[in-house]
Amino acid sequence: MDDLVGVWVAALLTLGLFSFLYKDNPYFRFTEALFAGISLGYYIGNELGNTLRPNLLEPLRQDFSGNLHLLIPTAMGILLYARYKKSLAWLGKYSLAAYVGYYAGYNMILKLHGEVLPQIQSTILPLNQFSAKFFHTDLIILIGVLAVLVYFFFSKEVKEGELSSQVFAKVSVLGTWFLMVSFGAAFGYTVMARISLLIGRFNFLLNDWILGTFARF
Amino acid sequence: MKALLDRLEDLDRRWIYLIVGVGALLPLIYPLNLPVTITPPVRNIYDYIEKLGPEDAVIVSFDYGPSTGPENDPMAEAVMRHILARGIKLVVIALYPLGGVTMSQLSLDRVAKEFPELTYGKDYVNLGYKSGGIAVLKAMGQDLHTIFPMDLAKRPIADLPMMQKIKSYKDLKLAVSIATGIIGEWWANLVNAQYGLPVAVGCTAVSAPKYYAYLRSGNMLGLMGGLKAASEYEKLVMDGYPALRRIYERLNGPGAGGGYTAIKGMDVQSVVHLIIIAFIVLGNLAYFRSRKRPHHSEE
Repeated sequence: MDDLVGVWVAALLTLGLFSFLYKDNPYFRFTEALFAGISLGYYIGNELGNTLRPNLLEPLRQDFSGNLHLLIPTAMGILLYARYKKSLAWLGKYSLAAYVGYYAGYNMILKLHGEVLPQIQSTILPLNQFSAKFFHTDLIILIGVLAVLVYFFFSKEVKEGELSSQVFAKVSVLGTWFLMVSFGAAFGYTVMARISLLIGRFNFLLNDWILGTFARF
Repeated sequence: MKALLDRLEDLDRRWIYLIVGVGALLPLIYPLNLPVTITPPVRNIYDYIEKLGPEDAVIVSFDYGPSTGPENDPMAEAVMRHILARGIKLVVIALYPLGGVTMSQLSLDRVAKEFPELTYGKDYVNLGYKSGGIAVLKAMGQDLHTIFPMDLAKRPIADLPMMQKIKSYKDLKLAVSIATGIIGEWWANLVNAQYGLPVAVGCTAVSAPKYYAYLRSGNMLGLMGGLKAASEYEKLVMDGYPALRRIYERLNGPGAGGGYTAIKGMDVQSVVHLIIIAFIVLGNLAYFRSRKRPHHSEE
């Protein structure tokens, strides 16, 4: 019976959110506020239970003197909240600096080693192997990369009578075409993603709520 | 036609919502069973898992929450069914803070019930959620037991038979990240790039375009992008495993006995996409027609 109550609550809240499609109304706003509040509460509870308790509170409770070093990140974390008092805001800058420094340093390696170098390597393609793959994939990637780079980084002012600037302008236009195609693909994928979420909700309303309720009685 | 285009310009958008809604609902009630074609990035994952056996272990990371469940659940469950059907050891973790662990628990419970001959701790485990993202992924490369000392049910993982042989990435054959957002990228640009563990990602359709760059650069061996790719994986396991075919045929059936699968969802996707394409074409025709009217040239 508990399951069925939960399904009904979820179904009514789903309908509340869908009601916005007709027009804005108090039922929608109540549902939206409830969702935002519960999400935030879940997140706080999750962080308390899965981060602070096992990584800070439990170790300190079990062996306080052996885990004194944990007080340093704790203090730095608390200092971040000093920004809410103007006269103490400068204290939080040290924590923020450490945080930014750590992630900047870490991400630099991550991006260079895991993204930039492998992706440049995969774009440097042999141009003397005229297989079918060369014409329908590699060549298009090569032209696309060069054209988009010209559009973003190497564009120059178009001067009448100057051949090089006019060539650059044409390659730059080609770059915008490649970008348009990629935006179109991204838009298509986005539509698919949003419809998937709609399907999920409709499937819930149909199978779990309506048919599930009938099956119970 | 002209009258239709004129009316379209003033069409209340709620009619479009209604038509899309009906287009989404009808195929759920009356499945069309449209054919599914397999693409290479999805087949690569299937083929790789086909090469593994009971002595191997695969980690599946739930890097998504309920908000993208309709897209990610089918791919997570299809991959886990494939892994368990082959008797490969399955390690489940969650790195997404907003509900990742709940999704992992629900999905693994659903799938594990279909394999009563397998035992928790010996054939599959759920190590639960760990916050920290990149730091967790990095530390797992050194010692997985330090990062996850307990499983989801708070049992020491050192007591679980299969975990005695799995200490770090080098004891795994594959990582599958079912992801929304950036966590799947970390598996590719950190775990694969720095530790060499083969990585496959199942992501939401919104994220799929950026993941193709990792696929092409070799940081990922395969990619499942959105519901379409999930339906491909379901088709592959249905064709390869008669027992899984029976499970999916039951799930694909109508009514309360049925469930939610990507193959079922793709029927809806196809119908709704046709509706959207029709509206885009008609909308553009109406727009170009309105541009030819005199009041535009007077400006």
